[in-house]
Amino acid sequence: MSKILRVNMTDLTTKFEDVPEKYRLTGGRGLTSAITCAEVPPTCHPLGPNNKLTFAPGILTATGAPTAGRLSVGGKAPLTGTIKETNAGGMAADKLARLDIKAIIVEGQPKEKGKFWLLKVDKDGAQLMPADEWTGKGLYETYPKLFAKFGKDVGIISIGVAGERLMAMAGVCVNDPEGRPSRYAGRGGMGAVMGSKGLKAIIVDDKGGSGVAIANKDAFNTGRKKLTDALREHAITKPGGTLNTYGTAALVNVINEAGAFPTRNFREGRFEGASKISGETINETCKKRGGVGMTGHRCSPGCIIQCSNVYPKPDGTELVSCQEYESVWSLGADCGIDDLDVTGELIRLCNDYGLDTIEAGVTIGVAMDAGLAKFGDGKKAIELMHEIGKGTPLGHILGNGAEVTARTFGVVRCPTVKGQAMPAYEPRAIKGIGVTYATSTMGADHTSGYTIAPEILGVSGKLDPFTVEKAEVSRNFQYATAFLDTTGHCLFIAFAILDIASGFEGMVEECNGVLGTNWTTDDATRIGGDIVKMERAFNEAAGFTKVDDRLPEFMKYEKLPPHNVVYDVPDAVLDKVHNP
Amino acid sequence: MVEVHLYGKLRRFTDNLDPSRDSIILVPHKPNDTIRDIIRRIGIPLEEVGSNLFLNGEYSPLERKVEDNDRLGIFPDDMQMIIV
Ligand code: SF4
Repeated sequence: MSKILRVNMTDLTTKFEDVPEKYRLTGGRGLTSAITCAEVPPTCHPLGPNNKLTFAPGILTATGAPTAGRLSVGGKAPLTGTIKETNAGGMAADKLARLDIKAIIVEGQPKEKGKFWLLKVDKDGAQLMPADEWTGKGLYETYPKLFAKFGKDVGIISIGVAGERLMAMAGVCVNDPEGRPSRYAGRGGMGAVMGSKGLKAIIVDDKGGSGVAIANKDAFNTGRKKLTDALREHAITKPGGTLNTYGTAALVNVINEAGAFPTRNFREGRFEGASKISGETINETCKKRGGVGMTGHRCSPGCIIQCSNVYPKPDGTELVSCQEYESVWSLGADCGIDDLDVTGELIRLCNDYGLDTIEAGVTIGVAMDAGLAKFGDGKKAIELMHEIGKGTPLGHILGNGAEVTARTFGVVRCPTVKGQAMPAYEPRAIKGIGVTYATSTMGADHTSGYTIAPEILGVSGKLDPFTVEKAEVSRNFQYATAFLDTTGHCLFIAFAILDIASGFEGMVEECNGVLGTNWTTDDATRIGGDIVKMERAFNEAAGFTKVDDRLPEFMKYEKLPPHNVVYDVPDAVLDKVHNP
Repeated sequence: MVEVHLYGKLRRFTDNLDPSRDSIILVPHKPNDTIRDIIRRIGIPLEEVGSNLFLNGEYSPLERKVEDNDRLGIFPDDMQMIIV
């Protein structure tokens, strides 16, 4: 990919630049983080004129590599104040890559507040136009209109009303293959950054695009075959395997059985209603209700794992895509809700308003802990979600996430790190994921060092979840993940490449094929490590210290049932992660 | 008694096949029982059992000793687990 598109929202101009040599061998997270580090002052206000928002497909996106259609979205995050990369599947990354665009950098800020623009990108160039007719409405209403106007085959990257209102739980939405507003680069409030730039949507039309050049086709094909074979062989990623059959929510019963399924705002580690929101039940309901219901749905072109689903209403018509692990947990168990029709409706509202489902669910859990609703009250949870959609004063408090909500209502039990809500793994019961939450460059984020794999899932050797010496494991996973996020592959290939060595080699060889490099698997880990170190330097310059690399205090004194454990990993171990 | 929670295709060893409810079977406990012994006593073929075995919520090997009143969770081989 040979071009970078720079969009200046202050003077409403666009220009294409050649990719500088220093960015030639990177993509995805490696590129968005490099650009953020080079161009964004670390102490800037995330919603001010000096922050920049970068979109980048991965090195391997649109090359024919399997499951490699991720779009990275990076900049400084309003939720955390840290550097951020959050990525999504969907259709847009593939189309940007086919247009030979390695990144879009959005900078500046329009003088006129509350006015929005739309950026159209195609083979002939890029163009900004007023977006008045597309703003202020739900995305399920807006997306069909955008397709009607720009053609059914375009890719759409957009924000919902939450992003327009600069709420810190606003995500960036990408359409799925059927045009739903359902795939989110959700974390960190990057939707609010897009809103602060006055950018409502990017329309990507790849018709006539040149495609991605591959330097060494033989090396690429060898790598692609190795990785594809590994994905087809591994029990978790293969066709008819766990992810394909049950979706990510297969984890509900496992993590619940492990006593690490955060329940009712992280009060307990086991939820009595877990079975009702499990992957097995999702699969069974799709079959029973029939209609449009399906598991094994793919969210982006070329995905061979296909972990997504379309969940039907009782009459077989569509409720939502997709009921995945994090969403059925945050909007389900964490709020004490055990009904997939309710979680489905809440996920649909998140998609419609443009919200991160993890932050939204954990925030409602905190609100319930504060007494705004009873745990388990689905009706009230839906009402609270509408407050966010309507932008009422209460909606603005909730829309700014779990930490703001906890502070507003005096809730001490606030499950966040660096301002970001924790995902669906209890760190008191799975110590290593707590190390990652504490020390990731992104705030509490399971995807930045998925130590669950060796701790619970039996991938890549086995670790005891209760031991505390997890610094090295977390560090290695954070490095490997940073590289993976740079390739454009979906993180879910990790199961196969951690267990099957030739799969990991295959991923690196694919990159060598596309870029003409000679990287080894050791180089991949080193490159990932360099990315993490660069991100950490940004955070340090933004004012973060080791004191920020900690879990919330309540986890050190509140015992989590059923194991009745506190978080007892010593601070010295946490400090060792990035200072070995 | 050992309280055994079965998932996926292993639910057929209990009287509940509905995945939205827990599939539980109570197995009499004998001294020195291991997880493997309990699995045998239920009659589950070992090749249908995956690596996800949880004794009182702790990820455990087949050889681990089981005490009376323990809770044991068993996932089948086609339900090896995941992410996000
Ligand atoms: S594995 Fe799932 S989330 Fe990843 S690209 Fe495929 S469908 Fe999307």
